[in-house]
Amino acid sequence: MRKYFIYILSALILSPTLMADSFSLSFSQNMTNNLFQNRFAEKDQLSTFSFYLDKNLSRLSLYAEGSYSYLFENPNLTYYVQDAGMDYLHPLNEKSAFYFSLDGRGAFYRSDYSDFNYLSANFFAAFKSYLSQTSIFKSNYSFEYKNYRDSVYDFLSHALMVSFDRYFQTNTTFKGEIDWGYKSFLHPYIYEGEVPIEGHRYFMGGRGRGYSNKQDQKPYQTITQTEAQGIQVFSLSGLIAQGLGNTIGLNLSGMKQWVLSGQNPFFFIEEFYAVENPSYDRFSWDGYQIGSQLTFLVPWNIQLKLGYTLSKKEFPGIESLDLEGNPLGLTRKDNRNQIEVRTEKNFPQFSVFLSYSYISNSSNDLYFDWNGHFFSLGIEWNIPLGARQ
Amino acid sequence: MTLFIVFLIVILPSFGQQALHFYNVDQEIRVEGKIQKITMEPRYKDSSPFLILILEQKNTKKLFQVEISPVWSFDYDFHKGEHLMVIGSLYSSEGMGQNIIAREVQFRGETLVLRDEHGFPNWRGGKGQMRRKGKGKGKRY
Repeated sequence: MRKYFIYILSALILSPTLMADSFSLSFSQNMTNNLFQNRFAEKDQLSTFSFYLDKNLSRLSLYAEGSYSYLFENPNLTYYVQDAGMDYLHPLNEKSAFYFSLDGRGAFYRSDYSDFNYLSANFFAAFKSYLSQTSIFKSNYSFEYKNYRDSVYDFLSHALMVSFDRYFQTNTTFKGEIDWGYKSFLHPYIYEGEVPIEGHRYFMGGRGRGYSNKQDQKPYQTITQTEAQGIQVFSLSGLIAQGLGNTIGLNLSGMKQWVLSGQNPFFFIEEFYAVENPSYDRFSWDGYQIGSQLTFLVPWNIQLKLGYTLSKKEFPGIESLDLEGNPLGLTRKDNRNQIEVRTEKNFPQFSVFLSYSYISNSSNDLYFDWNGHFFSLGIEWNIPLGARQ
Repeated sequence: MTLFIVFLIVILPSFGQQALHFYNVDQEIRVEGKIQKITMEPRYKDSSPFLILILEQKNTKKLFQVEISPVWSFDYDFHKGEHLMVIGSLYSSEGMGQNIIAREVQFRGETLVLRDEHGFPNWRGGKGQMRRKGKGKGKRY
């Protein structure tokens, strides 16, 4: 598969008839004091180099994007992600259009996370229509298939979204959204007996190895394959956006999600900063999230964003453990507060950004009672190659 | 390494190349006003239709047709009555009045950079997304 990505990239860049229309390079430096987002905070820095290129062929667009991320303290978690795809727009009339995209992705991690190497295929179809000049209807469907090196994580997912918004002359927009999703783990496992392990923290997600704090090794449980297992979620979201002239915007949003059927097949789930973990995603929780965001345009055309998010999540099928790894007989519940500040400035050929986040997560599983600081600094350089239109 | 050298040989001659020239940097203007109408129209041969905003200038009440981008920029939703500030290249065409090819749009405290300073498009493929300049990738928290 990696070989095909290289062929596609070479064709996009080198063929005279497929000369890319645009090409961009970006670099970002990220720092955190809590890479693994748990109570045993560990600092790390992550450098990410990316490229993007595309080619438009009438209404069809081909694109490719690659991203290499290096972790300084945990170099064995370093990874490369490659995307390549195409999209197509089909206008229905002057107020409505369909959009389709087909995308392939490969993620390749170094040794500590190589079980999570995957190849995926994504299909996305969207419809957007102006019902009137002040209200928009949107709908989309997405399909994803991921094939992991460790097949326990393989899944298929489907998601449907419908939204409707209405703008009022007070410069206020109200938006409502309904989402439904279904994820099917193709080869989940069940737990059987306990086997002690050597301390190795990166594989905890999904394999039930218990806490791997170096001072506190715990046994994990062996696993065997079972039938496919599905999780069905449904959510309702609302948003109020208020514009205050061109230079200030305020958003308030809320989202409530329910798990309609199924539950996480994993014994243990977690999230890492900047590194994807297949056991922790929108299908893993039930609960709500509310947020607000203030955006400003300050002098010299600098964008400034301030955001706050509060979430309360329960993780069906995931049992909380004490710090020794003993089950507490409770379903894991997390409450999270997050603030984020981001500033961005666009120059003629490049743009720079700086962002900071603080997260405080409280959980009835004390291992996930944590807080962390996250800094990012980045630059993107754009190189136009195609025709100006 | 070989691939990189071939890449340079092929790519470098294209820098500074003048393609068909629609965006005239000498005709750049800045207009602030209110959206009066939204439509999707084909603007260029063999290209996706563009999102077109009819903008009424704040003080003069003059109307401009503002070309935003191909409608695959599904991320941003404009509505009639919203206030915008547009920087772009002005051109006149018979039967279509005053037109602006937008390079930058400011609204609700955000700036959308649609083209670079020379007018080269900044939009991109993949789930209908406009290029989010400088956005950090892969954050999972």
